Amino acid sequence: MEVAPPRRWGAPLWVGFLLILLSFLVVYPLLMLTFGALSDSNPVVDGFGKFRPSLHHFLEVMGNENVHLALFNALAACGGGTALAVMIGLSFSWIVVRTNTPFKRFIAGASMIPLFVPPLVAGVAWSILASPKTGLINTVFKWIGLDFRVDFYSMAGLIIVFGIYYAPYIYMFTSSALQNMDPSLEEASEVSGASAFTTLFTVTFPLIMPAILAGCLLSFVVMLGIYGVPAVLGAPANINVLTTYIFKLTAWSPPLYNTAAAVAILLMFVTAILVWAQQRILTGKSFATVAGKAFRPRSLNLGPWRWFTFGLAVVYLFIVVVLPTLALVIAAFRKFLFIKDLNALFDMRAYGWSHFNQVFDNPLTMLSIWNTMKVGVITALIGGALAFAIGYTVNRTHVPGRKAIDLLSTIPVAIPGLVVGVAYLWAWIGLPGGLYGTIWILALAFVARFIPDTVKSLSTSFMQIHKELEEAAWICGRGLLSTVATIVLPLARPGVVASMTLLFVLAIRELGSSLFLYTSDTTVMAVLLLDYYEGGNVGKTAAFSLVQTAILAVLLGLTNWLSRGAAQGSARVG
Amino acid sequence: MKRRSVLAGLAGAAASWALPAAAEEDFGSKDVIAAAEKEGSLTYYTANFAEVEQEVIKAFNKRFPKIKVAMVRAPGGQLIQRIKTEAAAGKLAADVVNHSDRGLMLELADLFQDYSPPNAKDYRPDALVSPKLWPGVTLGWAIAYNTELVKNPPKTWMDLTKEEYKGKKIGQVVGPSGGTTWTRIMFERQVLGEDYWKKNAALEIALYPSGAPTSDALVRGEISIAPLLYNIIYTKIVEGAPAEAIFAPEGVPIIPYADGITKTSKSPNAARLFMNWRLSKEGQTFAIKSLGNITSLKEPPAFPKGWDPKVIKVWVPKFDEFEKLRASWLEEWNKTYGYRQ
Repeated sequence: MEVAPPRRWGAPLWVGFLLILLSFLVVYPLLMLTFGALSDSNPVVDGFGKFRPSLHHFLEVMGNENVHLALFNALAACGGGTALAVMIGLSFSWIVVRTNTPFKRFIAGASMIPLFVPPLVAGVAWSILASPKTGLINTVFKWIGLDFRVDFYSMAGLIIVFGIYYAPYIYMFTSSALQNMDPSLEEASEVSGASAFTTLFTVTFPLIMPAILAGCLLSFVVMLGIYGVPAVLGAPANINVLTTYIFKLTAWSPPLYNTAAAVAILLMFVTAILVWAQQRILTGKSFATVAGKAFRPRSLNLGPWRWFTFGLAVVYLFIVVVLPTLALVIAAFRKFLFIKDLNALFDMRAYGWSHFNQVFDNPLTMLSIWNTMKVGVITALIGGALAFAIGYTVNRTHVPGRKAIDLLSTIPVAIPGLVVGVAYLWAWIGLPGGLYGTIWILALAFVARFIPDTVKSLSTSFMQIHKELEEAAWICGRGLLSTVATIVLPLARPGVVASMTLLFVLAIRELGSSLFLYTSDTTVMAVLLLDYYEGGNVGKTAAFSLVQTAILAVLLGLTNWLSRGAAQGSARVG
Repeated sequence: MKRRSVLAGLAGAAASWALPAAAEEDFGSKDVIAAAEKEGSLTYYTANFAEVEQEVIKAFNKRFPKIKVAMVRAPGGQLIQRIKTEAAAGKLAADVVNHSDRGLMLELADLFQDYSPPNAKDYRPDALVSPKLWPGVTLGWAIAYNTELVKNPPKTWMDLTKEEYKGKKIGQVVGPSGGTTWTRIMFERQVLGEDYWKKNAALEIALYPSGAPTSDALVRGEISIAPLLYNIIYTKIVEGAPAEAIFAPEGVPIIPYADGITKTSKSPNAARLFMNWRLSKEGQTFAIKSLGNITSLKEPPAFPKGWDPKVIKVWVPKFDEFEKLRASWLEEWNKTYGYRQ
């Protein structure tokens, strides 16, 4: 075999390279964080020489009953939210991929919209809609004469908002799995006499279990790290979760970074348990459903019921897209949000462009948009390439050290953004060269922070490409790199494009790590958005988030169109 | 619809009002001004709202158009963390720092150079914590209410213990949120009485994490009345929001900021000029008229609307007590208001 000799020294070199890269991106900042949690000093200010190890913060955190409560609230909100997200996301991907529901493409596109909405904006939109006293929904109820009132300043409100906004994660993971699944297994089930319903729950869903679990895990952990939603909806009801607790610790004076780091470690511990549980469930089972045999995903003919599934989709889209957008539009165009009754809502004199004018009068607005685009593209390209390298190494090879790579690339998911920001600041400010204060340090932080999301969303596509396709290439005398380039990359292309897009979106929304690394020249949209919100300008916050959403929608439409073109170009190859 | 924001318009109006009167004012020697213009730029770190500080920069540039001010803004605790870390790594980019927490800034006093403005003697000595740090910004607490919802508005701090405002009608920023709120609740206990918190808390107060969501909730009508920093509600009132604010006769707790010029400043003259201008009568007048600030000048050059200098007096916390009492009193406050920290 001509490929054998180079692989002998190539593999350790490659693994070493990845490990060094991950050490720089993940381990080093993490060490800084642990250092912070276990001492009462700032590693940059005091230097490692003054390291006074103490378990003080850690024990304080473990013994604090407010932390217990925040942990419990976080688990309840994220657990409930994930359950709801699975119900919604899974139904959606089934409706879109496997049925003949009308306008599927439109539904598929629109159902991803919540993913582009920064959590802070989602929180603000739902507080406008469903706050107990003046929420628009309640105003409408009052007008109809209904006695019922909704109150999203509650645990139920948190769960619903989490559930509907993170359903796209589940959708993303499961829809590609459903698409890539060989329908012959389902046909076998039905030939043996099982009903369509039984087949769905005994064959289809169990087969895509890795995707469902990966989606669950990711959305749960992402929710665990979200600040915006609980900050807006939880705070008025005095419901603390871990992130809002950490934010308080870093924002109050004096800021308690070391204690915040200790809470963050607790958060990481919870996540580690979940990752371990997921891997235990999945080990020893094969989920390969893409084999070397040609097939077409099967579409179920629902008959008249297809209008019912269509109706479900429309209701979901109305709740998740139309209502909050309407709330934002009202907030953005209305001078003040005081709405006495329903008639006042339609008083056109109360509307105007003033918030938009003010937003664009601010010279930082255009600068932040431009910077955000630059950071987003850099992050997506570097992060996408890195994730592909990691995903392939972990999922498709047996090189020693791949488990370590897998572990290291999963860790950042557990570190909340607000704390990871300070870890990067501590870790990277001392780097030689002019990295600090440039766009690149932001991009680097985003790449590191979102490695897990990108790798996990890619891994499911790897898991589904059967080994026999690569083996066929090797038998034909292809080398490893050539196999990757001609077989794996084209087959995983939809996954690669999807994860780069995800990375782009995440980078544009990311606030926590930006806050510590931006300078006056490199300010980004998320920082400016927080500033509008913190300034008490709901109108401007809404106007700016509409601008941000519009930009994202245009860019994503463009990416989608480009990748569809590429996919059509390469689809014929197989 | 006007293109320019009301805030910007007001800023312009106030500046043009102030310009001729202040032409004689001392912003620094000719040499300092020439050197500052030669440096041409400075970097300004602030914990205040970016939008507000942008108006300050605009007004400064009306008088000194040749000096570009680049701004970095982060919430209080996070800004301090950044300054400390940057300074330790030898990469502190700030020429001027503007921060509301005098205690935290005092800890960093070593990072700042000796500085005092030309009108140093006009400032209240109790507003200073260090001869290097100056109150470029001074904020004050007012009582705000929604004019559509409150028929009988409160006129004093003690009114906020009245039975008629019971049932989540009053909103408040939580005690431990930072130095500004701590100043207010310290005032409540020291001036309005040991049992003020208890009486106030009995009305079922809606609690908010910071001033911004509180003012927003007030305008939307989620709450009807709230103690608020005047500058947070002022611009909304000017823009026509259904809100009004009064200054109470028992006293207006004020928060003098602590601003300074860093030792490592690369544009020390531009920094000096910027500080001089902000602390000058012209700068302070602008801040009062356009931003809703108060001032730490002994003789205020202007007063906010409804402020009768014969009746209304400012209240400045004693700095040693401000630091000493903080932890234990906040713990009691949390208990009284049922707030889980």
